[in-house]
Amino acid sequence: MGGQGIERREMLRYIAIASVAGTFPGFSQWAFACSHNASPVLAQAVAQPYKPLFFSPKHYQMVELLADMIIPSDDTPGAKQAGVAEFIDFMVANRCAISGRDELPTTQNVLALGEQVQGHFLSGLDWLDAHTKIELGHEFLDCGAQQQITLLEQLAYKAKFKPGTEAGRDFFQLIRDYTVVGYYTSKIGLQSLGYPGLRTVWPKMPGCTHPKDPEHAHLQESSQTSFAD
Amino acid sequence: MPKKVYDAIVVGTGAGGAMAMKLLCEAGLDVLALNSGPRTDPSNDYRLHRQPYDLKYRGFGDPRNLEGKAHQERYTVEESEYSENSDIWEHDVAYSNAHGTNWYWKRCKGTGGKANFWGRSSARYGDIDFKAADLDGFGENWPIDYAEIAPWFSKAERYMGVASTIQNRPSNPDGEYLPPLPFRCFDYIIQKAAEKIGVPYLPDRCAQLTVAHNGHPACHYCGNCTRGCDVGSFFSPTWFTIPDAEVTKRLTLVTNALVRCVLANEHGIPKGVAYVDRNSKAEVEVFGTVIVLAASCVETAHIMLNSKSRQWPTGIANSSGQLGRNLCDHLYGGPGYGYLPQLVGQPPTPDNIADSTVAWMPRWQNLKNPHEEKFIRGYSMYIGGGCGEFPGHYRQLEGFGSEYKRNIKRYYPATIGALIQAPSLPSPTNYIDIDPEKKDIFGIPQLRFHFEWGENELMMWEHSKQMMIDLFRAAGGEMWGADSEPNRPGTSLHETGVCRFGNDARTSVTNKWGQTHDVPNLYICDASIFPSPTDKTTTMPIVAFTMRNCDHLLENFRKGIHKRA
Repeated sequence: MGGQGIERREMLRYIAIASVAGTFPGFSQWAFACSHNASPVLAQAVAQPYKPLFFSPKHYQMVELLADMIIPSDDTPGAKQAGVAEFIDFMVANRCAISGRDELPTTQNVLALGEQVQGHFLSGLDWLDAHTKIELGHEFLDCGAQQQITLLEQLAYKAKFKPGTEAGRDFFQLIRDYTVVGYYTSKIGLQSLGYPGLRTVWPKMPGCTHPKDPEHAHLQESSQTSFAD
Repeated sequence: MPKKVYDAIVVGTGAGGAMAMKLLCEAGLDVLALNSGPRTDPSNDYRLHRQPYDLKYRGFGDPRNLEGKAHQERYTVEESEYSENSDIWEHDVAYSNAHGTNWYWKRCKGTGGKANFWGRSSARYGDIDFKAADLDGFGENWPIDYAEIAPWFSKAERYMGVASTIQNRPSNPDGEYLPPLPFRCFDYIIQKAAEKIGVPYLPDRCAQLTVAHNGHPACHYCGNCTRGCDVGSFFSPTWFTIPDAEVTKRLTLVTNALVRCVLANEHGIPKGVAYVDRNSKAEVEVFGTVIVLAASCVETAHIMLNSKSRQWPTGIANSSGQLGRNLCDHLYGGPGYGYLPQLVGQPPTPDNIADSTVAWMPRWQNLKNPHEEKFIRGYSMYIGGGCGEFPGHYRQLEGFGSEYKRNIKRYYPATIGALIQAPSLPSPTNYIDIDPEKKDIFGIPQLRFHFEWGENELMMWEHSKQMMIDLFRAAGGEMWGADSEPNRPGTSLHETGVCRFGNDARTSVTNKWGQTHDVPNLYICDASIFPSPTDKTTTMPIVAFTMRNCDHLLENFRKGIHKRA
């Protein structure tokens, strides 16, 4: 095993990507967000728009928009470029819950949790539309951008909570969970975070670089986005 | 046609079993090793530098992956989507929990067992552990003292390669060490804070090769350790002891052999082992002069409890009645997590590329006075944090949008969390037995756990929560919270006690060399012989005691107590 060298591991990585790619109905962004290099299989499939497995077209658009609002593109690419909506659709469709997974002794328990999540997404998205219809006369997608932001703020920030919106607040936490997980398990997300583990070979482990300030009392906040060698 | 009789049959190829088979083969014995499951294959079963986005479900795994299996509960952490194609995790053999017990039994059945994926914390036990009963009046002393076992700790460390520093703490004795892993920014901050509250914060004894060792390469810090090392830069049977045994050409290794029981002759003396071939379901009997059980703590006792005969109505070598009793575990849990404002907004740092316990707080309680605290004995604590694979702190931050995204990044280097490692005391309520009704899919009567946390370890848990509050305050940090209760029993993977060793055959199962009191040719080489847990982990001691046990076993061959076949 030890003598295999780097090449075999690269091969295994391509095999893994190819097998994932093959199972996707018509991926676009998600695949780019994952690939290490463009491979023939991926490039071919890029032309087709993503066909949701679970969400209706309208619900899928809402999910896309919400993910983009939660993790926007700014100095680094956001949820849209990372294909987070595709991730959410795929996971929800496959009943693969991302939280509440403690003590699920059977496959039936696991799938039941995934089904609950499906229900929470549908009722949450419907709640959003019903709420904006009442408050603003439009469904969520038809509201203005500032209206959408204001509404989301009312669900996200304690200081802005309005009575009677508990269901919406719960839904916000749910879709934020899925957006954050989808983003920060993508290559784009991990690059934006500066995750050191993207580099998998180091000559040694660098330790603290502040030997004269063990309490780290005199550091300046940085805007560096990636780890420098 | 006479059946072949091996000099030794070794059951299990983990930390203990693979070391036993290596030593016995190297001494010239003809050894048959039986492994429960298949051969572990790094090229199929390990993480191999893949990232979460290389996985179909981003690491969460296919929800249907275990459908139809007898044991469908997933083992978190070590078992993951990275090894979804592998067959090394035990999901065919079910076990039982008695009413009121919630034991979580993680099992790796591939060759090498859990030691393929272990945490690598490798501290030496000291006389404070071996003579604890003398100090505080509870339970039984170990049948050895530090002076006797220290040379074996040295042998184990020299073989395995352990990185640390000299610390001059008799409760956490120093060994033979490779250069330590360096402290990270948060380690220095915590160390200063710990100093203020009288708690030690020191490099852990980490079995990671910071330099090349005995032909094994130095670590390249891919951070994949917990899902298997692709090059063998930490001790595991797959890279160390199994190849050493195989090179002697005296090893016969049979995989997918699930041992049912020890076979005894008409005088009740072990003559071999019966196993089920997992593939053909055939029942096979094999014969050996000496039997070494190293199936992992409770599985060893399970096999012995199922080895009933006229002479052994309650299980082989159980005249003491202690077989299966004195089940102990490490209480695990998170007594506090939060962040250090000093590090908010700093550039990301490679804090977890060694995927290991760089530092820890070795037991600092009841060192001078065994009854200083309300509890006896003591616990240790690991602190982790910094830049990891996923920004779990996202839940602690409010909102959405660019500012939220920026905050996730700002807090990324600053988070820390604690893990307590507290020994449970032996108790009559804590034991394993055989389920009177249930059999597994191979027809073997199932193991059943009886376990609840006792007052002593729960007091340690409470103590640790206060300590974390004090620590955060001393560090100028902010706590976000703590676990409301400890983890399920079994989580630590450090269970001990069920075949405890001792000098008195009435109160112990084996003597101080892991040889059962009742029958001289049955030896045990796993953690089941440790009578009480300490604040420290079990793997390196398993290796050290196995080396010593096998030395005695081989001496017994030389003396003619066991005769070559």
